[in-house]
Amino acid sequence: MEKENNDKLKIGIYELTGCAGDALLILDCEKELVDIFNAADIQSFLMAKSDNIDEELDIALVEGSVSTEREKEELLDIRKRAKTVVAIGICSCFGGIQAAFLDQKEWEKNFKKVYGDAKMTHTKPVQSKPIDAYIKVDYYLPGCPIGKEQFLSTFNRILRGNPPDLYRFPVCVECKWNENDCLLNKDIPCLGPITRAGCGSICINHNLPCVGCWGLVEEANLTSEFQLLQEKGFDYDFIKKKMANFSGTGIADFLGNLKGDKK
Amino acid sequence: MRVIKLKKDNLFPFLEVISEKADLWAPVKKGDKHVFKVVDDFSKVELNTTRTILPPRKIFLPQTFSMFNISEKGYEEDFSHVTKKILFGIHPCDIHGLLTLDNFFKQDYLDPYYLEARKNTLILGLSCWPDEYCFAKSTNTHIIEEGFDLFFTDLKDFFLVWIGSSKGDDLIRLKPEFFDENLTDKDIQTYIDWQTARDNAYKWSINFTALPDLMELKYRDPLWEKLGDACLACGSCTNVCPTCNCYNIMDKQFLGGKDGKMIRYWDACTLEEYSEVAGGENFRKKRADRLKLWYTHKLQAYISKYGKPSCVGCGRCIVTCPVDINVRTVGKALLGEKEDAFWLRFNKEVTK
Repeated sequence: MEKENNDKLKIGIYELTGCAGDALLILDCEKELVDIFNAADIQSFLMAKSDNIDEELDIALVEGSVSTEREKEELLDIRKRAKTVVAIGICSCFGGIQAAFLDQKEWEKNFKKVYGDAKMTHTKPVQSKPIDAYIKVDYYLPGCPIGKEQFLSTFNRILRGNPPDLYRFPVCVECKWNENDCLLNKDIPCLGPITRAGCGSICINHNLPCVGCWGLVEEANLTSEFQLLQEKGFDYDFIKKKMANFSGTGIADFLGNLKGDKK
Repeated sequence: MRVIKLKKDNLFPFLEVISEKADLWAPVKKGDKHVFKVVDDFSKVELNTTRTILPPRKIFLPQTFSMFNISEKGYEEDFSHVTKKILFGIHPCDIHGLLTLDNFFKQDYLDPYYLEARKNTLILGLSCWPDEYCFAKSTNTHIIEEGFDLFFTDLKDFFLVWIGSSKGDDLIRLKPEFFDENLTDKDIQTYIDWQTARDNAYKWSINFTALPDLMELKYRDPLWEKLGDACLACGSCTNVCPTCNCYNIMDKQFLGGKDGKMIRYWDACTLEEYSEVAGGENFRKKRADRLKLWYTHKLQAYISKYGKPSCVGCGRCIVTCPVDINVRTVGKALLGEKEDAFWLRFNKEVTK
């Protein structure tokens, strides 16, 4: 029997700065889409529908990082309206690629390089940050984009009032399950050991090294990974850039304290 | 045990006949390594392999599988991973690995998921030749006297086939004309020469007899901190080990309905979450402590219970760990022998 809408949890799905890949992935759950809309009252989902209502919510799923003042206000408003906020995707969780320049001066320099003296009229741009830089986040669902299976499982669990049950180990575990030959052992710069699993080691399955797009795993041994890549002949700055690419604020402390950068 | 002869040309036709009623798993190429896979095309079966990337335990307990189907009516056990299988091309060290797993899964609480799969799989062993990473002679697992239905020793022009069980004998009876019961003195001499040469082909060894004591004596040695500092905690050593058996379970409920599954997947004591308990406390937060656990288990605890290490000398940890933390370098370090390894060169600080 189908539940009436007023019995269901009210959900809002929002997109800040990002590629909208996470929202798209939710829409791409074609087989399960009817179940998703049956299981919850999707009040707001800009990519999927036009009759959006932005009122009180049980759960808000927020994709993307905050890169303008307007987004900051939108995010604060979402937090005020929602009982539970879930950050979905790497940008929302860690800032994403657009948070690769964590140094304020670096960011300003790059902003100027791209936009010159152009006047921003509708909102003020700010350095890109993950949503937890501004609000309390209840749950994180990383991914670039998020994985279908983990999304459905997480969505289902939070609808039932349970926290997500995500893999907390690195990509290497799934990579070994898939019986891939370790790329690091072939001197290919793979970030599998420092990156959170959940993607099913999809890149390595296709013989491409992990770029770290799901963000750092809790216990990432960055010093060891860094030195291992150095031993394999990769340049110090190359490794820094590679590690910083997707890790955003997650890697700020490590990169900021590198002894090699200190004179 | 009866020993018969099989002409080389008759091997694949024989495998074809016996695999009519079961999936035949055998080593095939994957990149420049090998993996066990179900084969239909027998020309893909590799006879001269060393270790596969993952050990054969994946054939009995897949990396992830469903234990229960859950519905409103309750739950029912899911044994869909148990099918009739023939595992061909498993080497002596890996058969020892299965015998070690038998000990685990038969002690105290029987594990039906493993034991049912084991019961439904015939083991057709194959002789091998060591490469520079093999050390099965040190663990005395380069020879095998039990744990197989048939065992094929590759003597270039022919196989000597050991019949290890009545089920193995039944397979032979499907095509008795392929086999020759009469071994000549020359055949036996060929086997003796092969065995001597094979035993001499192991390039290095490690003294396992000394390791239980050394694990005890060096339990607080700075060695462990050094290993923990370099360890990537990627779990690969555990995943590729033929005797590791730990697992975790996860409930999966399906959206919209009341159905679900209980999923079981390979876990690893070298991973951080493994020793975490309710409330977030962790008994082995430090990587050094986790490595100590792994090595205590392999090199000490199992020996005191079963009189042999739970390492079978396959060399998978050696070829897999990116930072050279493996039974060889750790064992040698415990023994005070010099060995080059990334973890020994590792620095706590990254310099330019």
